[in-house]
Amino acid sequence: MKSEPEKSINTKKEDRKASIMQTALKLFSTEGFYTTTMPVISKKLGMSVGNLYNYFSSKDELAKELMLYISSMLGEKLREINMSDKSVREKMDMIVKMYFTIARERPELIEYFLRVFLSNREIFTKECTGMVCVSDFVTELMLFFDDGVQSGVLKDQDFFSALGLFMGYLGGMVFLNGEEVLPHPLSDYESAIAENIYNALRKQ
Amino acid sequence: MTIRKWIERIEGEASVQFEFEKNHVSFATIAFPHSRGMEAILQSKPAMDALVITPRVCGICGHSHLFAAVRAIESVYANCGAPVEISQKAESIRELTLTLELIQNHLKWLYLVIYPELSHLLQEKIADSCRLKGAYAASLATKILAIFAGQWPHSSYMIPGGVTCDPTHVDSIRAEGLLDELIRWFEKELIGITLDEYSHFSSDKAFLTVTGDMEKIEKMLKKAKMHEQGFSYDRYLAMGEHAFSKSSKWVNRRMAKVHSKFVTLEEPYSIGEKTYAKNALYQHNSFETGPLARAMIKGVPFIKQMYRQYQDSTYTRVMARSYEAALLLEHCKKLLHSINLEEPSYIKPLKKITALSGEGIGIVEAPRGSLIHSVILKNGIIDHYRLITPTQWNLSCGSPKTPGPAQKAMIGADSIETATFTFRSFDVCSVCTTH
Amino acid sequence: MKSRPKLLWLQGVTCNGNTHSFLNYPHLSYILETFEFLYHPLLPATYTLEEIASCTQQCDILIFEGAYDPRMMRAGARMETLVQHYGSSATTIIAAGSCASFGGMFKQSDPEYITGLGFDREIAKGPFAKSPKLINLSGCPIHPEWLGYTLRMIADNKVILIDEMHRPKELYAYLAHHGCTRNEYFEWKVDADQFGTKEGCLFYKQGCRGPMTHASCNKILWNDVSSKTRTGSPCFGCTEPDFPRTNMFETKTNMSIPQDVPLGISKRSYLTLTGIAKSFRIPRLEKRLIDDNT
Repeated sequence: MKSEPEKSINTKKEDRKASIMQTALKLFSTEGFYTTTMPVISKKLGMSVGNLYNYFSSKDELAKELMLYISSMLGEKLREINMSDKSVREKMDMIVKMYFTIARERPELIEYFLRVFLSNREIFTKECTGMVCVSDFVTELMLFFDDGVQSGVLKDQDFFSALGLFMGYLGGMVFLNGEEVLPHPLSDYESAIAENIYNALRKQ
Repeated sequence: MTIRKWIERIEGEASVQFEFEKNHVSFATIAFPHSRGMEAILQSKPAMDALVITPRVCGICGHSHLFAAVRAIESVYANCGAPVEISQKAESIRELTLTLELIQNHLKWLYLVIYPELSHLLQEKIADSCRLKGAYAASLATKILAIFAGQWPHSSYMIPGGVTCDPTHVDSIRAEGLLDELIRWFEKELIGITLDEYSHFSSDKAFLTVTGDMEKIEKMLKKAKMHEQGFSYDRYLAMGEHAFSKSSKWVNRRMAKVHSKFVTLEEPYSIGEKTYAKNALYQHNSFETGPLARAMIKGVPFIKQMYRQYQDSTYTRVMARSYEAALLLEHCKKLLHSINLEEPSYIKPLKKITALSGEGIGIVEAPRGSLIHSVILKNGIIDHYRLITPTQWNLSCGSPKTPGPAQKAMIGADSIETATFTFRSFDVCSVCTTH
Repeated sequence: MKSRPKLLWLQGVTCNGNTHSFLNYPHLSYILETFEFLYHPLLPATYTLEEIASCTQQCDILIFEGAYDPRMMRAGARMETLVQHYGSSATTIIAAGSCASFGGMFKQSDPEYITGLGFDREIAKGPFAKSPKLINLSGCPIHPEWLGYTLRMIADNKVILIDEMHRPKELYAYLAHHGCTRNEYFEWKVDADQFGTKEGCLFYKQGCRGPMTHASCNKILWNDVSSKTRTGSPCFGCTEPDFPRTNMFETKTNMSIPQDVPLGISKRSYLTLTGIAKSFRIPRLEKRLIDDNT
């Protein structure tokens, strides 16, 4: 068992780590991945570059940790929806609402996923290949699709053709919203979008 | 006088009612009382499932059913304008495992049926352990078969486009070793001379050099006067295409081409007893199929010589089946040596099976003769499946005017026992007949 | 000489596959010396089927092959009568093969009436439902060594532990997956892109039921030499109550996600692990096992 003082030191370190990630996330998604260097991050945090490296051994490492964090957070929310005893149609509404809520309340999370993770794949080749860093989220989506097909509601098709339709649509809307192209707030589109996705994926 | 007898040890049972006149069999009807409705089970299943279901028609010749089923599906591909390509290697492996199934069948029949039945008929006791010899030899054959097919019985390793296995030389060397062991057993226990000498017999005189169990069996056959009875139609049919057999018919000492369109199924003659067997006929005539037919059509010198002397007697029929085991062992040896393992085992058919709609037919030479599977697919789903098994030819039950081959062969027998032995000389398979 | 236990081999709705499979057993002579066969469809036996059908004998061990149809007649006797007569005197009843165990292939002949001896698919039903005497040796066909094991355990008076489907644990605690030569491909999710290769796992596309099937096929090999998966055929799950399923050469997937996952593993855990394992490219597992390169 860990002693009390040790635990508090650890907690302190975890808190610090969280604030680094929060700051980096903001910078990455607003300023871009390449212009945001480790010195830029440390300066924003008011800590030395050397100290920052005590927390993350490299910028790539920090980038990977961020993606894991976002995936696990989205995965957890999706898991709650999956575990509820709602219908596939109702779950579809809930997922779209959940995604847009996050995009509104914490836009940097979605921005990071779209602008950094998907657009700079070369950074993530080493330890984040394929689905490794988004596994929590993707697994829950798989379970949602699997349940939809098994219950006879969704059409059986290739996983990626369904994933692309689903995530591409949601990502596209968040992108348009970010570019301030949309005349109405994102939440106004929730039910129409859920219905569109449902109609596109359901068994004819 | 009518006497009914249950005949067992024929992969199930048959009920035979013998009519006697002046102490001789004047007519006999054959009924097969059990059916499992295999064709109905196949209905509406995806085509590939036939490769799992049809081997279960029969515990002793299921591999032949697998081969017929895969040929039937491949024939649908061809009829749909998308012929399936098969490597020589896959062809050879299929032929090899089929041949091994024939060998195990013949050796079991000889030791577990013919030898004990002869000993019963002549009241000459043989040891129980002697019967186990057949099981041992058969298990060697199935072991070689399983190296390629995974298991026997009930493998499903033949698929449209080839075979599922991908053997290495380690496997083929192991198979050769086991085949050598089986041939050594055959030489030591059954014939007492080399397989090479035996399989090249050109006259029945040569048989005088044979010792071992085959000498005893041959003597017993003669002693039981099996060379003087059991004559049938002297019409032969072999429809499956193989290196070891030729597709043809033999009528009035002449060979002629055959085509599956002349094969018909007709209702059996019945004297009030329920039977599920349908008669298989060619141009509405009875034909004998199986090893004797294959030997006559292929022109096997030893059997042809024997035929000249004893015609299609029970003796010739039994000898032809026993002798075929030797020829097939030789064939196996050649096949094993010829397989080029570098070739692909499987070439993926160009068309998806779910896009297939059409008819197909698959014919193979099974242990007991020509086996026919015909199938109609609709979008890859079985719309209709028909099985015609060798025993449906040989054991067809006709009226006194048109008896089937085995019925005809039993007429004139002086006892139920000798008639039953003639019945068994056709190597009857009850489960296949009614399927 | 001590009298030998009396063994009766009876057949219901069958293809004879279990009879022929057992003839492959390498120690048949031991079995024939140890037991008296009252009847067997091929091996030397004391009585004919007609004599057995008269129900005047009693047996110690009843081996039943084939699915059970009470209305079936065998050599003039009703199957229900035969099974009740011989089953009541027997101390052990062995269902040989999947038809006798669960109904199997031939339940489909007449689903309303046909069952196994003690199970109808996975539901306890039939003349020996819940009977402590019943041992199921499922498999289509029965594996000769599995029956050999069971008979020798009985001869030696040893206790055979059975699972909830009455199958001996020493034979059926294993999955067909155990000992499969393709295990590493399963671990790293490298699927066989087509038939006819020794490389790749057959679970993802070819319909293999190995990880969901209780059977020791890859531990106790078939005919002493091989198994389905070792020769590139998928396991069809023939020892399980739901055999035969449909579309047996194809894995049932929902949007590319396998509908059934390895026994006892939650789909969430399985998919998590799969997603990660699939992300790694392992060149060694992507090329032919034996190639021309040095």
